[in-house]
Amino acid sequence: MTAMVKLASLETKMFFRDRLSVFWTFLFPIIMIWLFGSMFGDSNVSGLSFAEMFVPSWIGVNIVTISFFTLGTVLTGYRETGVLRRYQSTPIRSWMILAAHTFQGSVIFVISALLLMVFGMLMYDLTLPAYIGSTLLALLVSILAFFPFALFLTSLAKNTQAAAAISSLCLNLMLFLSGAAFPLEFMPTILQNVAKVLPLYYVVELLRGTWNIGPITDYGLEVGVLLGISVVSTALASRFFRWSGK
Amino acid sequence: MEEVIRVQHVSKSYGNVQAVKDISLSVRKGEVFGIIGPNGAGKTTTIEMLEGIRKPDSGEVSVLGLTPHKQLRELNKRIGVQFQATAIQKKMKVKEAIDLFASFYPTTQKDHLIELLGLEEKMNVMFDDLSGGWKQRVTLALATLHKPEILFLDEPSMGLDPHARRELWGLISTLKEQGCTIVVTTHYMEEAEKLCDRVAMIYSGQLRALDTTQELLNQIPVHYLAFDTDELEYDFLISLPNVVSVEVENQSYKVLSEDQQTTAYYIFKYCYDNNILIKNFRFEKGSLDDLFVHFLEKEETA
Repeated sequence: MTAMVKLASLETKMFFRDRLSVFWTFLFPIIMIWLFGSMFGDSNVSGLSFAEMFVPSWIGVNIVTISFFTLGTVLTGYRETGVLRRYQSTPIRSWMILAAHTFQGSVIFVISALLLMVFGMLMYDLTLPAYIGSTLLALLVSILAFFPFALFLTSLAKNTQAAAAISSLCLNLMLFLSGAAFPLEFMPTILQNVAKVLPLYYVVELLRGTWNIGPITDYGLEVGVLLGISVVSTALASRFFRWSGK
Repeated sequence: MEEVIRVQHVSKSYGNVQAVKDISLSVRKGEVFGIIGPNGAGKTTTIEMLEGIRKPDSGEVSVLGLTPHKQLRELNKRIGVQFQATAIQKKMKVKEAIDLFASFYPTTQKDHLIELLGLEEKMNVMFDDLSGGWKQRVTLALATLHKPEILFLDEPSMGLDPHARRELWGLISTLKEQGCTIVVTTHYMEEAEKLCDRVAMIYSGQLRALDTTQELLNQIPVHYLAFDTDELEYDFLISLPNVVSVEVENQSYKVLSEDQQTTAYYIFKYCYDNNILIKNFRFEKGSLDDLFVHFLEKEETA
């Protein structure tokens, strides 16, 4: 147990030692919101203000960034350089390592979500989520779906470069096509249907919904899809967990 | 003497490649046991089966009375492993790494090791900023924190400069004095000669020789004649009876022979008849390095 706590806190510390990750995780989304805000700050889409629409969705995007880059790509790098292999001949067990990284990812996510929310409140008169308990539950479900999903996908990569490529592809696809950065209402029907294949779509719907419209019980489909992804990818990620690339 | 590792008729293949073929050996408590052979000979596969991270296709392995791949958790509490060319997290400080790994075990000799390895001055340095020699020391510390009964070292001096390598040998000897059994793979023969009590030579997955370093050198006829001259031809020397190989470098000759006396006679006779001057003629004892080359050449001609 001490080993797991130590590992989680060390990994968190090391995250903050890497300026690039700090920038991409914490500042990049804020800059994006600010950029979009300077263009569409006064617009109203389907009854939601700019901030009500985009702060929840960029919080969703951050789940993707953190799962793919902070967790997935980093662990693939650890696999490639033998960091994981060194653990293999000690008494620490694989689930403890994954749990420590999941905890680290959650801490970083919470910080980034708070930053985004406070930024929205200061700049664009965003209010706290209407159904705050539902929003917290929605975040939990989203993390449970995305962390193992990204861990599994990136574990298919042989090295850090390949993992980063997979991660960038997933992030960009979902960022632009799932309604997170651009409202789906402005897109052709075919792209609106494509969005429904992307897991981030359900995260965005769920977060926007519980933040502005109704409790989580109104979003059975979204919760169901995300829990499904969670179960399947947890099974895949633990079944195919490897200590080394060879 | 008590045996801590016992390997019987072990084989392992990867697809069509047979990496290890029917190897049997045993390691005694408290000795430094070397597994030597060229790159790709099956050394790493062998040591990884002892560590329990690879499962043998056939044969039996017993380490400290345990079956490694089945009782890995129990084994991991009692052994220490230094993998070939593995790193720790780049941005982890030495102090943090030692703390983390110490938390995996109930008791450690942390402070003793920090002193022994001289790590005190590097405690706040990140792993990525350390030189190769220091990295090796840190990972050695991580592998020995819990006073393992057996320490496995896979190519520990790869990529180290000669000075760092000598320091590493000193450290390994100190660990041995503390009663740790050490299994080390290497392709540096000098390392095997300096460090190991006994060595197993592995070529293309097979065990070719196993004995004390001294006995191996005595038993196998790989002594050589060394001399300087500028008038002898390679073709002549290699054609002499009993000559195994001839190396030439700047008029310095090294003639490996299975019968030094007879070969020397032919060389002297030829030089006398043809009025050739040779200087610094010596009878030299072969090193493990020569034995190694000798085996390899036999392999290639076979």
